[in-house]
Amino acid sequence: MNKKIKSLLQQAEVYKKQGLLNEAKSKYDFVKELIQNSDTFQNKQKLIESLDKKIAGLTSKIESVESAPVKPEMSQHVNELIKKLFSFSSKEKSEEDAALEGAIALAKFGQFEGALKEFEKLIQINSQRVSAAKNILRCHLEMGAVDNANEQLLKWQDAEDLFSSDQIEKITVFYNDILDKKGLKKETARKEEPASVQEDEETDEEFLDISAVAIVLDDGPNKGEQVELDVSFQSGNVISLIVSSKDEHLIENLKVGVRLDDVHFYSPVAIFRGSGVVSAKTQIKSGPKKGDYSLDIKIESL
Amino acid sequence: MAVFNIKKREIECKIVYYGPGRCGKTTNLEYVFKSYKKQVDGEMVSINTEGDRTLFFDFLPMELGKIKGCDVRVQLFTVPGQVQYTSTRKLVLRGVDGVVFVADSLTDRRDKNMLSLKDLQQNLKEYGLNIFKIPLVLQYNKRDLAEEGMPVMPLEKMERDLNRQLKVPSYPASAMTGDGVGKTLQECLKLTLQSLQKQFNWAQ
Repeated sequence: MNKKIKSLLQQAEVYKKQGLLNEAKSKYDFVKELIQNSDTFQNKQKLIESLDKKIAGLTSKIESVESAPVKPEMSQHVNELIKKLFSFSSKEKSEEDAALEGAIALAKFGQFEGALKEFEKLIQINSQRVSAAKNILRCHLEMGAVDNANEQLLKWQDAEDLFSSDQIEKITVFYNDILDKKGLKKETARKEEPASVQEDEETDEEFLDISAVAIVLDDGPNKGEQVELDVSFQSGNVISLIVSSKDEHLIENLKVGVRLDDVHFYSPVAIFRGSGVVSAKTQIKSGPKKGDYSLDIKIESL
Repeated sequence: MAVFNIKKREIECKIVYYGPGRCGKTTNLEYVFKSYKKQVDGEMVSINTEGDRTLFFDFLPMELGKIKGCDVRVQLFTVPGQVQYTSTRKLVLRGVDGVVFVADSLTDRRDKNMLSLKDLQQNLKEYGLNIFKIPLVLQYNKRDLAEEGMPVMPLEKMERDLNRQLKVPSYPASAMTGDGVGKTLQECLKLTLQSLQKQFNWAQ
């Protein structure tokens, strides 16, 4: 027991050093559980207190990582780099086109203040004026500053020398369209969801190449344990596994007709959770796997 | 997307290091920066959080010199690996010519590897790129942790998980010590330049 705990604590420390905070925390949680369920430790309470401290520290770090802003405003130097690296206009296009792309890249990286500055410059250039104006309004909306966007549009509508009447109409229509979409967005998203769910269901019918499965044992001495088995063969939604004759409890539990409700199916590009039913079980009579069992599982859902 | 200047005979391409959070993408680039000074054409830039997690990207420009009559420049990028940076990953991936997928060999990270590979596939698809056709190399990183008694997946298992369908070159590595880092990048460069040669027919 001491050896196991020592090993788990060492693993936790390595995970912590690696920045794998959730993994480190789960090791400490497991060690705490082991100590709590054991009567062999003299300073049980102290050990648990020390673990609680470590767990609390990790929990706090995890929360701060997960709640950090995804696209915080960065320095001017970073903004310059983003503009330079993420303008994809070919060298044959104008500098202004590249500048517009750079400004759009800033906005996409959430650097709205920097993007606004660039768009303000571009609004002075005839060829970029309308695009810059549209993006200025978009930036304000992304920053949650609808009033600023409204105010800006009104200024442009009142200032007759900057935009032609055609241009101002285009910008106004564009802006109203975005506002409409933002207003309708929730409803259309709900309508779109069934379509995307249907797409998933269609792809679920194409059975991916499954390389391994993990089954949770719900009976026997190893109840609750997850067992991984490699897939030896697959035909459509039926996968064949080889179970060693030494795994008597596994062979005993997995009878034909047994339903497996929580199975992890490992494929090269995704892990799926689903269910299946044991459709066949045969003992191998010859060859290197003689004595072992071939188990077929029919996948019912992924 | 590679830029090819026919007049100047210059080609510039982009390689992105992809993978789950904390798998070693930035460490790979740091090792390349430290060890291939002759080919590095500037400073390595890292835009990261206080905890040293990549926030937007790492960037390292390299100059490979003349290859088949063309000056070849490569931009190496890494993406942020944390789940919440999904839109940033997509932005950084734009215009990619070759990918190094860095997988974490720690057993507890198995699921994250596969989810990240699926994420890569989806993001490439949104740019009209096919994961089965783009120059791609797999790196099984953190092999050194086995010596520290950490539970590390056997290479065969990682191959089955990640490379059974893709069948691309794969390399065990330790980005901390540098083992396998150079080989991975070299292979990705080779595949990328071969692909660009087919596209542009630039070789003299």
